[in-house]
Amino acid sequence: MIVTHSLPADAFTALGGGAGDSVVVRRLHEAQLSKHLMLLHVVAAAAAGIDPPSRAVAAFRAGYRLLARIQAADPAAVATLLGLPHIGSWAHECLACLDNGTSPDFGYLATAAAAVAIGLGVPFEVEVPASAGRVSLPGLGCLEVASQDEWVRLSSDGQRLRVGGHVDLECAALVPDDGTGEAVPYWRGTPLVRVVADGQAWEVLLETGDKYLDRYPLPMRTAMTASDVRCWRRLIQAAWELLLRHHAWAAGPIAEGVRVIVPFESHAGLESAASQAAFGAIATSLPPSAVSLAETLIHEFQHVKLYGLMDMVPLVEPGGERGYAPWRQDPRPMGGILQGVYAFTGIVRFWDTQRQVETEPDEVLQASVLYERWRLAIELATDTLLKGGFLTPTGARFVTALRERGQRGEPVSAAAAEIARDVALDNWLTWQLRHTAVDAAGVAGLAAAYQRGEPRGSEPLPDAWIKDDVRDIDAVIPRSRVLDLRFQEPRRYRQLSDADVAGLSAADVRLVRGDADAAVAAYRAVLHVAPDPAAWIGLALAVHRFPAETTRPVFAARLPLLFEMHACLAEQGIHADPLDLVAWFE
Amino acid sequence: MSLQTQELNSIIPDLRELSLERLAELGDSALAHEIALYRQRLKETDVPLSAFQARI
Repeated sequence: MIVTHSLPADAFTALGGGAGDSVVVRRLHEAQLSKHLMLLHVVAAAAAGIDPPSRAVAAFRAGYRLLARIQAADPAAVATLLGLPHIGSWAHECLACLDNGTSPDFGYLATAAAAVAIGLGVPFEVEVPASAGRVSLPGLGCLEVASQDEWVRLSSDGQRLRVGGHVDLECAALVPDDGTGEAVPYWRGTPLVRVVADGQAWEVLLETGDKYLDRYPLPMRTAMTASDVRCWRRLIQAAWELLLRHHAWAAGPIAEGVRVIVPFESHAGLESAASQAAFGAIATSLPPSAVSLAETLIHEFQHVKLYGLMDMVPLVEPGGERGYAPWRQDPRPMGGILQGVYAFTGIVRFWDTQRQVETEPDEVLQASVLYERWRLAIELATDTLLKGGFLTPTGARFVTALRERGQRGEPVSAAAAEIARDVALDNWLTWQLRHTAVDAAGVAGLAAAYQRGEPRGSEPLPDAWIKDDVRDIDAVIPRSRVLDLRFQEPRRYRQLSDADVAGLSAADVRLVRGDADAAVAAYRAVLHVAPDPAAWIGLALAVHRFPAETTRPVFAARLPLLFEMHACLAEQGIHADPLDLVAWFE
Repeated sequence: MSLQTQELNSIIPDLRELSLERLAELGDSALAHEIALYRQRLKETDVPLSAFQARI
C-alpha cells in the first residue's frame, strides 16, 4: 500500500513562523521528489501507450531503463537527479502537454539518464535529442555535437563517451565547471559555485543551458562569459557570508534547498522569480550588491518553501477572488497574496536584522524603511486573507502565525515610520484609483445631496468593486519615483536637483520638497480646473503630512468615491473644493 | 503559538522507496486518485502548467 507524505506538527509550525530549518526543507524536498516520480509515472504511462514508438518514445524508454539499472546499484544518485528542478519543470511541462493533447518531450529523460550515467561512469548507449548543435545534460553541462542533427547517439564504456560518430571524450572530465578545471573540447560544464564561510559550505549551479529552467518571466542568461561567472561567484560568496553571520535562520535552509540559480538576462532593475514547477531553483538578474542578493535569496526561497508546502497541504480555498497586494499595482488572486505575505515575512526579518547591522545613517534609514514598509504590507495583506474567508482552516492558522511573526520587531525611528507609511499609502491610493469601480447611480445621488447642501446622512455608500484599470493612471507616477528617493537614495533626495524634479507638476514639486501647505493649495488649484486622479493622490499624500488632520481616514478609505463625485459635479459645471467634499464625509 | 497538534497528511504519495521498475509496473489506477487531486489543485490555485508564474 502506498502512503502519502505527511508533515509533522513542528515542521508546519516552523514554516508558519516564516522560517523552517534544514530538516524541514529536506522534508519538503522529499515530497517534491515523490511528486516528480508521480509525474514521471504519468509520462511513462503515456509513453507505454504509443505503439509503434516514435524516436522520442524509444529514447524515453531507453532512458527509463538506464535510470532503473543505475538505481539498482546507486539509488541515491538517481534520487538526486530526479529531485532536480530541471526534472520537476520538465515533468510539469509533460503533464501540460498530455492535458492539451500534444506530445510531451519524451526524449529529455534520455539526456537526464545519460547525465547521471556519465557522472557515475556507468556504461550505456542511448539516443538523445539535440538542439542547435548541442545536447544539454541536466545538472551537468552541455555537449557540443558538431552537427545540426536532431538526434545524437551517446555511448560510453564507463570511461570514454562517444558522441555521434565524431567526438570521443573522457567521462571524468565531463563535470560542472567549478572554476578550477581546464577547458574540455566540445564540453561546457554548467557553472558550479562553491562558497564557504565560517566552515559552512553551499554548492549551487548557475544554470545557463537547460530549456526547462528558461521559463521565467525574463529570459535565462545563456551566454555567460568567464568574467560574468566570476562576478556571480564573488557576489554569491559575499551574500553567503552575510547570511551566515547575520541571518543564520535562512542560511542553512537555503543551502539545503536551493540547488540552482538561474541568471536572468541583464535588466534595468532587479527582477527575480520562483516557480511551483521547479522546487529548488530561483531565478534572478544580477543584484547590485551582496545585501541585495542575500535579500533576493531569502525572498525567493520563501516562495520555494511555500510552493512546496502548498503542494502538500491546501491553504487557499478555490475561487477566483482578487484583492489588493500592497507590493503590486494590479489586483492579485488570493494564492498570490499569500505567496507575497510569506515572501515578505522573510524580507521583514531580513531588514529587521539589517537595520541593526548597518552603521551608515542612510543605510540604517533604508533598512528601517524597508522593514516598516513590508511589515505594514504583511499586516494589511493578512487582514485581506483572514477576513475574506479565502483560506482553508489550516491556511487560516498558517496566516495568523505569519501575521504574529511580522509584528515582533522593535519600532523604527519616527522618520523611517513616516516614509514607510507614506510609500505604503501612495501605493494603496494609486491602486484604489486604478482598480476600484464605483456605482454611478449611487455617486450621482450623493453628488446631488452634496449640491443641495444636505448632510451626508447614514445611507449606505455606493457599491464599489475591483475592476482592472478602471481609470487611466500610471502604475508608478513620476512623483512617486522621486518620493522613493527618500529611502532609496537619501543623499540624492536631500540635494534634489532640477533634473530630478523635471516632469513633475508644480504641486508635486512642492510636495517632494516638503512644503505640504503649498502642495495642498497647489493640488486644490489643479482640481478646481479638472478632476485629475494623480492630483487627488497628491492631495491625499499632502494632507497626510499633517498628523492632526481629521480628514486623513476619508482620503485613505474613499478616494475612488471622492474622485467620482468630484468628476460628476464637474460635469455639471460645479467645481467643488476637494477639501469641502472630503469634509462632507467626516 | 501552536499551529497544529497533529501531523498533516498531504496528497503526495510517498514514492521514494519505490523502484523505477516497480513504478512502471503500477497500473493506471494505482496513483490515479493522487494525480487527479494534484491536477485539480493546480487548477484551483490558478497555476499554469506550461508557464512559470510571475513573481507574486
